[in-house]
Amino acid sequence: MTDITLNVNGEVKTASVPPETTLLKMLREDLNFTGAKIGCDVGDCGACTVLVDGLAVNACLMLAAQANGKEVLTIEGLSTLDKYHPIQKAFEDVAALQCGFCGPGMIMATKALIDQEQELTRDQIKDALSGNLCRCTGYTKIIDGVIDAYEKITGRKVPARNPRAA
Amino acid sequence: MVDETKLAEKQETVETLRKVDDDLRLPSVPERNFFPKEIDIAPARLQTPAIGQRATRPDGRLHGLGQTKYIDDMFFPGMLHAKIKRAGVAHAKIKSIDVSEAQKMPGVQATLIGSEIPVNSFGPSLQDQPLLADQVVRHAGDGIAAVAAVTEQQALDALEKIKVVYEELPPVFDPIEAMSEDAIKIHNNDSNIYASKTIIKGDIEQGFKDSDYIFERRFTTQMVEHVPMEPHASIAEWDANGRVTLHSSLGRITLGRADIARTLEMPINRIRIIATVVGGNFGGKNEITTEPIISLLSKKTGRPVKCVFTREDEFISSTTRHPFIMDYKTGVSKEGKILARKVRIVCDGGAYCSWTETTLGKASILSAGPYNVENLHVDAYAVYTTKTVTGAMRGFGAPQVCFAYESHMDDIAAELGIEPLEIRLMNAFNEGSSSPTGQVLESVVVSDSLIMATERFGWKEWQK
Amino acid sequence: MIHRGKGIGCMWYPIGFTAAANPSAATIKVNEDGTATLLTGTVETGQGSLTVLAQIAAEELGVSTDDIHVVSADTDATPMDTGAIASRTTYVTGNAIKLAAEHAKQILFEVAAPMLGVQPNQLEAIDRKIQVQYFPQRSLPIADVALQAQFVMGRPPIGSASYNPPTVGMDPETGQGKPFSTYVYATQCAEVEVDDETGEVDVLYMSAAHDCGTAINPMLVEGQIEGGISMGLGFALQEEMLFNDLGQQLNPNLTNYIMPTSLDMPEIDVDIVENFDPTGPFGAKGVGEPTAVPTAAAICNAIFDAVGVRITSLPATAEKVLMAIKDKRLSNQRALPAAE
Repeated sequence: MTDITLNVNGEVKTASVPPETTLLKMLREDLNFTGAKIGCDVGDCGACTVLVDGLAVNACLMLAAQANGKEVLTIEGLSTLDKYHPIQKAFEDVAALQCGFCGPGMIMATKALIDQEQELTRDQIKDALSGNLCRCTGYTKIIDGVIDAYEKITGRKVPARNPRAA
Repeated sequence: MVDETKLAEKQETVETLRKVDDDLRLPSVPERNFFPKEIDIAPARLQTPAIGQRATRPDGRLHGLGQTKYIDDMFFPGMLHAKIKRAGVAHAKIKSIDVSEAQKMPGVQATLIGSEIPVNSFGPSLQDQPLLADQVVRHAGDGIAAVAAVTEQQALDALEKIKVVYEELPPVFDPIEAMSEDAIKIHNNDSNIYASKTIIKGDIEQGFKDSDYIFERRFTTQMVEHVPMEPHASIAEWDANGRVTLHSSLGRITLGRADIARTLEMPINRIRIIATVVGGNFGGKNEITTEPIISLLSKKTGRPVKCVFTREDEFISSTTRHPFIMDYKTGVSKEGKILARKVRIVCDGGAYCSWTETTLGKASILSAGPYNVENLHVDAYAVYTTKTVTGAMRGFGAPQVCFAYESHMDDIAAELGIEPLEIRLMNAFNEGSSSPTGQVLESVVVSDSLIMATERFGWKEWQK
Repeated sequence: MIHRGKGIGCMWYPIGFTAAANPSAATIKVNEDGTATLLTGTVETGQGSLTVLAQIAAEELGVSTDDIHVVSADTDATPMDTGAIASRTTYVTGNAIKLAAEHAKQILFEVAAPMLGVQPNQLEAIDRKIQVQYFPQRSLPIADVALQAQFVMGRPPIGSASYNPPTVGMDPETGQGKPFSTYVYATQCAEVEVDDETGEVDVLYMSAAHDCGTAINPMLVEGQIEGGISMGLGFALQEEMLFNDLGQQLNPNLTNYIMPTSLDMPEIDVDIVENFDPTGPFGAKGVGEPTAVPTAAAICNAIFDAVGVRITSLPATAEKVLMAIKDKRLSNQRALPAAE
């Protein structure tokens, strides 16, 4: 067993886990953060995306030991009692999520993207989300939600695509 | 003799106790609340009349906050994890299954094989599919045995120790080959054709005689998986009253409950299925899968048992979209009016029936397209092959036939020099048109949808 | 060289199968304050059906969507439902819910009638009020009526009902009959780019015009259509389960089974074709499955328009498209007279 200490969503958490335990398993089974999902367990689907020291990672591909001492942000750490996080709000408002299983990962990937504080185009958003699979939505309303959140958080505008005939 | 099972359990208990002890030494802080306490409700939810409002979803809010509890997010005290051993061979007689070594593996609490299931068959129309194959394997993803252990890894390790002796039988992968009289019979029936459908309208021969041109083409489609982001998952808990409570990712709970009652030979009122949230269905979660298996494992062990499909299980053992082989023959006038159409569909029905009959029915009826075809003859067949089970998937055969009839339509349009939009408008159903089954159609808007989609596209102005 | 093309896919799809029994039942319990709880045995599998069903119940009771709480998918607690299959939920379950709400509303009307000095059949439920038809000033808040019903009259406003689409069996020889209640219609158009050196197909844009009868919640209808297009696009170009000679799947994982990502998706414009089906709840039909039906056809027709090759076998992978382009070149070459 290995003792692991993580700072999860601003609180120090420790657990003793077998050395092969992934960050995802530790978060879900030892610390009860079940927001990150197991969609494939091999890094294909992105449903387990969390931020480790600010970077989006597939928690299923990272050993808990590799995250030892680091800051982990999960979907549970975005909103607080006083404030609904703008990404989560935007996703709700535009019905970005359907079955919702990809949602936590998708939102954490979005958070990592918006945190980079750069000018974004639709294509860059598509690129940034390409590691997060969704079967329900065709990504369309998810991208709408990302744009909505990005514009509200940063005050910047994402260039609209060329309209077709009305 | 050392009882390894007991030893593993003891070790597990010690570990747990140590962890509890560790936890006790930490200051006890309740979990944070991760949601905003003030509810901010979008105006569309509050307005009347309710119809036509872009109302947001309360469940959508929980999804985004990570608060939705899918099956795999639920943990019950003492819960075991079940895994299923897959055959790996496409077609074989099962000579023997030996689970004794698996039972001795660390953490293993129980095993289950098909012969222990009271009624080891299920299916929405034909009950031809075993929950765990006990006589014959009919595709490589067939389940052979299940193991329930303290951890998922222990269950997976124990699967390796199950010994199965097979007498391999010749597989049949091609549906056309499987249709032939001398093909090996996968279900011991006279023929591998297990469902067929005919639709006859008008006089097909006369229709072809009246036609100026006749077009023929074969179209084929592939096998596709639903890929719900949440794999199939369920938890069973058997209680002291002989009732079983199942949390399951099942899209069809009332009929699912009846199916489970049938396989377990127990009264329906002793089964409770809760399927509050399902992480994607698309037709793939319309049937029971492991629910009776884990119910019995829970009964054997007196503990809750969870089974979550790995992504591989999801691909190889759950249902898929039917591959179709479609032969289209269409007679048209020189103006482009469809006068006769003959369609022959061979549907690769996989190892078991599942929702094939429904798929075949819908595909046959829809195969002429949303067009007035007065003279029609459709023959459709579903054939067993030793491949993954094919079942319901978004559209029940409609995407396959639509690919064929619409490709065929453009072939005809190109050959006759007619604009693709025009040939469709010329043949489209109108209000009161008669469907291939003679049904008078109402609220028909084929032309409206054609015009709307092409106008939005900028079809007429569009240039290469 | 890159070639652009456009293609149409048009389709029809049945809603509410009637070849076998296809029932749904529902119960509505109006609370003492005029909010209500809806019990349904259908399952929310992501489509947003619970929100749509809440809207149907709300409409019938004249309250808002948020006034309805939905309890679903528990065989111990909720009534029978054939399930979240075959694009039937809005239509069949929706009809059952509308009927159940009508029954609950009838109790409210019977309680309100003497309070307003009219007959129950002169009342309507609108804007959280029970009011006299054509006399909106003569009304009572639904909360007052519900409270009166429960605590004074002792008649809790609870309604239960079921719905099963009317059945006409099909002739086994000819297939003639009425197998489905109603149908929806849709068209999708695709704009693609095809690289004739690699065979790669890029879908740039799709327009989609879908009929679903009344769109109970247009935002969720759009979501279905956009999602259906992604599934149709995977079916058209990318997805295929592959097997070896032993019948074992070669790509049982998301690394090698290529479903669409955000990068594969075209820009999409969705239009909802205005329609009303008298047999559906408030004119609604359904939308789930049909959205995935015409996409592959539209894309393959656009490929044909771009490079003149007919893809007859899905998926239209780059290899297959390139092979078809090469075959076409070869046959064109053969057609030329032999050079001296």
